[in-house]
Amino acid sequence: MSTSTAKQSKEQAKLDKIAAKAKEKHIKEKAKIKAQAEKLKGLGDLYHGEMYMKHREWRGFKDTAYDFYRWLITMKDLMVFVARAPRRITKAMFTYRWLCSYLSSPAFIDRHSMGLRGTSLRVLHLQYNAMIKNTTKLMATTFKADKRFGKNKYADKVVLFDEMMPMHIMAGFPNLIGIPAQVAAVFQCSVMDQNSMIPYLDAIENYGLPADVCPLPACEAAVAIMDEYPQMGVCYISSSMPCDGSVMASSYQNRYYNMPTFPLVLPVRYMDDTSEAYAVEELKKAIAFIEEHTGEKYDWDAFFTCMKQYNEETKLEMNKWEINKTNCPQVTGATLAMYRMYSFLISASRDPLFLKVAKKVDRLITKANQNGEKCSKEQRHRAVLWSPPAHYYEHYSLWAENCWGINVLIDMESLVATRMFSTDDKEQALKDVAYTYERMTMRRHTNGGYKNVLDELWRVCKDFNADMVLMLEGVSCKTMAGLKGLFDEQARERGIHLVWIEHDLMDPRTVSRKSMRESLNKYMTTVLREEPVDPTLVDFDDEKVW
Amino acid sequence: MKDLKHMIYFEKLLEDAHNELVIKAQEDGGLAIGYTCFHMPELLLNLDNCFSLRLRAPKTTSLEISTYYMSNYVCEFCRAILERSIEGGYNFLDGLAGVDACAQMNRCVENIHIQKLINKEKFFMSHIDVPYKVDPNGIAHYTSQVRLRVLDEMAKLGVDTSDEAIKKTLDIHNEVCRIITEIGNFRKEKEVRVTGHEFHILNLITYTCPKPLILDMLRETLEEIKVREPDDKKWRARVVLVGSEIDDPGLTELIEDTGALIVADRFCFGSFPGRQEMHLVEGEDVLTCLCRQYLEQSQCPRYMSEEKIQQRYDMVDGYAKEFGADGIIYEQIKFCDYWGYERAMASHVLQNEFGYQVLSIDRPYISKSSSGQLRTRVQAFIESIEIKRINQGKEVSADNFLDHGKKKSRKEKRIERKSKGGKS
Repeated sequence: MSTSTAKQSKEQAKLDKIAAKAKEKHIKEKAKIKAQAEKLKGLGDLYHGEMYMKHREWRGFKDTAYDFYRWLITMKDLMVFVARAPRRITKAMFTYRWLCSYLSSPAFIDRHSMGLRGTSLRVLHLQYNAMIKNTTKLMATTFKADKRFGKNKYADKVVLFDEMMPMHIMAGFPNLIGIPAQVAAVFQCSVMDQNSMIPYLDAIENYGLPADVCPLPACEAAVAIMDEYPQMGVCYISSSMPCDGSVMASSYQNRYYNMPTFPLVLPVRYMDDTSEAYAVEELKKAIAFIEEHTGEKYDWDAFFTCMKQYNEETKLEMNKWEINKTNCPQVTGATLAMYRMYSFLISASRDPLFLKVAKKVDRLITKANQNGEKCSKEQRHRAVLWSPPAHYYEHYSLWAENCWGINVLIDMESLVATRMFSTDDKEQALKDVAYTYERMTMRRHTNGGYKNVLDELWRVCKDFNADMVLMLEGVSCKTMAGLKGLFDEQARERGIHLVWIEHDLMDPRTVSRKSMRESLNKYMTTVLREEPVDPTLVDFDDEKVW
Repeated sequence: MKDLKHMIYFEKLLEDAHNELVIKAQEDGGLAIGYTCFHMPELLLNLDNCFSLRLRAPKTTSLEISTYYMSNYVCEFCRAILERSIEGGYNFLDGLAGVDACAQMNRCVENIHIQKLINKEKFFMSHIDVPYKVDPNGIAHYTSQVRLRVLDEMAKLGVDTSDEAIKKTLDIHNEVCRIITEIGNFRKEKEVRVTGHEFHILNLITYTCPKPLILDMLRETLEEIKVREPDDKKWRARVVLVGSEIDDPGLTELIEDTGALIVADRFCFGSFPGRQEMHLVEGEDVLTCLCRQYLEQSQCPRYMSEEKIQQRYDMVDGYAKEFGADGIIYEQIKFCDYWGYERAMASHVLQNEFGYQVLSIDRPYISKSSSGQLRTRVQAFIESIEIKRINQGKEVSADNFLDHGKKKSRKEKRIERKSKGGKS
């Protein structure tokens, strides 16, 4: 008895010794990183605990000058926006709390361009400028049509769409204005300013909505109960996309808008052969509904013209992915998904600027790829970003690139809309639209069965030759959470580094940006035992930053 | 009240999904088809030698393994079903008919499929797509899904899925519905002969046992209730219970222990909807007709069209009026997205636009784990109903619900006391 106790205590002492050694080593490593950070100048030095950066990033003379020139263009675009309807926009500023967040647009671009040089910097600015221009156009139209600020000729030409419903079908109504109802108040706002949605989340939870639901539809519902949507439109196309939360938020929108509403719903199990006929019929009904309530006739020629643009954009987007599959990727990080979101979902190929930019970007990245230009300082890991990213930390992947040399080559939200639309056959075109809508942003992966998200991830990893998956785990995204264990097990089987990074989509109070960074930092230092590329980015304070 | 003859036996049956009647039916050559949602037409799972089992996970305690697979933010009902599957609790099933009506249950069923948790020979699993609105296009899609993904799979096991077989099953199904409806209607009486908790058990039995094996007992129970003497017990309030899945009789017991009689059950696994008779329409395809009725009857919050949203509020209002309720309890199983939104909105609508007193609660799958909190909230709600009644000049007891707030005269009160044998 005593022998076994002695043996046990001996083993325990041994284990304690190993644990103490590991702890000591970890502390030493941390101290080393801290010392390096103190000694070295890095991007983390730009943060000083305030809303704004200490100063602009120095990228060398040429790139800094280009970056500053682009900053001036952004400021000009904002001024043009105000000049479009100065009185209405000023009134809107005092009516809609969310609108103030747009003042931080230049800072938003700065955050997304940190550490970029050469072609990467140029590509980013071209793409983000297109987004800014499109957004300001959309918002100017919104406020011009807003009945709150008086009667106007636009309000009765507006058809409101749920923000998660792509609006390609509106291309066939050139005399009408299709506006994604919640984009300005919720989606764009939440990526501009990490704290912008907090008052809305508080309001909806106070109303009685559980705090565990996805913050995106929760905020959409909140803006409705707080009466902060611009008032316009003759009818509303609600949508079941992409998830259960969005389905339910639409009941709040219906009640709020109190106008003729058509729920454009598509089959969830879209891989099923029977789903196509149902989806096409829904699209036909939606078009008929808009015709009925606006008195407009569907113009197929106008639709086909726009869809030609869509096809070109799609080709160029897919070329971007092909370049990223090579050893010399060019467009990495958040810019991939953000641009895709705007060009495919929000603009829906109705803004020629996106095609112009896409062509320019294609030329730049093809050349850079041929010249072997690096997109980041160091390229240590090829990663896939899976699951919807945090809106309050869209630039997370850029941080991972700058801090740890992890290039995010592709993400879940970008991998949509790959089918070309017919541009001469009406029936076929509707089938193509239905096919694409069924597989729109998020929905392509989170709906239709586990294969679309689980098996698809491993296929994408293989295609892009990725050794790492940054799994952005939205804590309230139940569709993704339902497969959590299987993701873990299958990644282990395949020898892929799968890192769980928790976030709460629009609520930085649940999981802060710092906590999100900490998840990756721990993995990189303890599992992979790597040194950071930029130690100043390991730990810094950006709680107050927009 | 006198105990119902079969009640203890029924309670015992509910202690296990694989109960003795299920075992008996399988020994007699029956095929057990599990399902988890109203949107899987129950009637069709009872064709020929098949019998339907709405899956429950009674006596659930730890959800550790399912939490690893599905995270702790997923609905506890879904996790409990997965946990029970991992434990081998559903290995007796011959088929699992899943629906893609809610993402969480869908993931639960997918986990069962990927991990091959039920490996009985010839075991089949299906998934059907359910539309978000009820229109001819949606009905046609739903019908084709049921035919292709469920009936065709059953046919592979040699099950007769012809129209004649459907009509035969419809007779038994409708008889069960008639009995349950008749028993449920006793809850409309001023002095009830069946409590909400008892009714919940009787109704659960019809979902979780082979119907032919319980039919005689149900008939007997109905006859018993017809002649049952009501209790003298004064219920403090009459409430309609509305919300997501409740298969735990412990919850209805907990609510009634506080003095609130549940007079109508509009929740998943309740009788509204679920226990309404189905009728065939001449000239309409049999399967389409039944599928249409399932979609029309469903009051799941996932339906997005305006008329369905309004129907949900109107139905609850209708139940409250028909059963003389003076309050509504909206409940939601934790992490259920659909009912989370519906509960928040409907509790405001029913209170502000329909004028009901409403309690809005979220709850765990097994009510025991949070019984203290739930009891306190229900008690406070009942008190608020009583205070309102006092302020309106009514008696505190819920017995005056049929008077619609009319104040009794002294003479009426004296007559009432006399009839009860009290002093005049």
